Amino acid sequence: MNLKAGPVAIAVKALFTAMYGVPILWIVLTSFKRSQDVFGTQSSLLFHPTLQAYQDAIDGALFTAMGQSATIALGTTVLVLLVAIPAGYGLARTTGWLPSFGLGLLIVLQMMPQTANVIPLFQIFGRWHLLDETFGVVLADAALLVPFATLLLRPFFRAVPPQMEEAGAIDGAGVFRTFWSLVLPVARNGVFTVGTLVFLLAWGEFLYAVNFFLAPAHYPLSALLASQVSAFGINWPGLMALAVLTSIPILVVFTATYRLLRDGLTVGAVK
Amino acid sequence: MSAPAAPVTRPGDRPAARPTASRPAYRVGRRSQVRLLFLAPAAVLLGVLSIYPLAQLVRMAFSAVTVATLNAHWDWVGLANVRAGWVSGDTPHALVRTVVFVAVVTALGTGLGLAGAIALRTRGRWSGVLLALMVFVWALPPVVNGSVWKFLLGDTGLVNTVLVHTGLRALPAPFLYDQYWALGAVAFVNSFAVIPFNALVYRAALLNIEPEIFEAAAIDGASRWQEIRHIMMPAVRPTSLVLLVLTIVYGFRSFDFIYVMTYGGPGTATNTLPFLGYLQAFVRYDFGLGSSTSVVTVLGVLVLAAVYARSIRREESGR
Repeated sequence: MNLKAGPVAIAVKALFTAMYGVPILWIVLTSFKRSQDVFGTQSSLLFHPTLQAYQDAIDGALFTAMGQSATIALGTTVLVLLVAIPAGYGLARTTGWLPSFGLGLLIVLQMMPQTANVIPLFQIFGRWHLLDETFGVVLADAALLVPFATLLLRPFFRAVPPQMEEAGAIDGAGVFRTFWSLVLPVARNGVFTVGTLVFLLAWGEFLYAVNFFLAPAHYPLSALLASQVSAFGINWPGLMALAVLTSIPILVVFTATYRLLRDGLTVGAVK
Repeated sequence: MSAPAAPVTRPGDRPAARPTASRPAYRVGRRSQVRLLFLAPAAVLLGVLSIYPLAQLVRMAFSAVTVATLNAHWDWVGLANVRAGWVSGDTPHALVRTVVFVAVVTALGTGLGLAGAIALRTRGRWSGVLLALMVFVWALPPVVNGSVWKFLLGDTGLVNTVLVHTGLRALPAPFLYDQYWALGAVAFVNSFAVIPFNALVYRAALLNIEPEIFEAAAIDGASRWQEIRHIMMPAVRPTSLVLLVLTIVYGFRSFDFIYVMTYGGPGTATNTLPFLGYLQAFVRYDFGLGSSTSVVTVLGVLVLAAVYARSIRREESGR
């Protein structure tokens, strides 16, 4: 492959650098401005940085929201992995009409618009006294993400050589032991990749949180941000400070798992 | 993160990974039935929290359900909700908007995704950093990306400041409060959010092309454009098919950028079908009407899922 970049490739790269760099830069810059400095060209790059927006944003309510975000994202990740790991393995190693049907169902479910789930779930959770409960949001998020996680895990389990399991069987290990001590360690990259993606998705989810929590006092960060940005008279530095604080955990997770994401997302796309 | 969130991955599907007849397959065969038990937890969870709610959704769509009767008896009204949606013009208008929206997201998302992949296939610091930046932006919560674009596209936001100062426009463009601009602007931001994923998948497909093919092309004096046209495009065709369907689905079910940037407005200008159903249920408190609109979106998804299954099968048989 011709690996030297031509003029067109350079132009495309410049376009993408601007398109993806400027928004990030603007979030950060705006969060260090005063409200009156936000608009107007003179002050867009040269201004007196201030921590005012952060000082205003960081209070007890923010820590509550962070706690909610962490609880929901971690709880969802654990629950999804508990359910999706065995399901992904089961679908990778069984044949017949039942697994085929399950596979088709998962594809349909993961394509469902979330707005179609939120209406009946609101009614059902109301009856089950799960509204305004963090556990209810975790359950809803888990149901939303299990199809995606299972479908993504299945190929990782299929890539584990079946001969390994036969060897385990000959040594007298049962199906569950073989799975736990032989298959799972081999497929751990897949589990990490899927776990990371589920965490990122659950951290950003806001439709369930906005509708199932009845008071903003219980909102996670994403829902807080969503309700502030759709309100009138937005305080942009405050909003951007909140956006930065919401994104910091994503940056941490991303930095730790970038290689895994980059390769894991596309591992079999072309094979 | 805004993923089309569907795996394109199936590394183990090679026939070589299956037990061959010469192996002692009898044990695996018998034991594989035990493995159906592994599906039980997912079946229970999804049965209670996905399938049962869908059944409720369908029931609500054919009933009169308001916020007052939500947890009481629902009167069966047949097709009255569906008819109300069509007669008021809400459903057909939302359908047209959804088609336009999905067309823009799909064209920009796959086109720029491929362009990005071709530009980013080169090794070097710039490509590496840019790819990481794009994946990071993709991993950010949609509320964060939606917020910053709402800011950038405002009357005195960066985009309009640049447009006015360079003389490209006399007045700021009404990106978020003109009915046509708004739909286009939200569709653009949706594409913005999906391009990194598509570029990543396309890039993997490009890196998989045998280097010898490019060497041979170079000896024959092929130009860069000919390399793209005759080597890369054919090589990514199967990937394109799957990504195309995934991007269509992503655009179709999208609501988060609409929620954050326009909340369906101005007026009803960015009410796509999924968002219209949401507004009818949670803003107008007509759960029956909202459910009937949502059932239409579910039917749309069923059609798309069938197309997806077909394209996957074709991709697998095509190699």
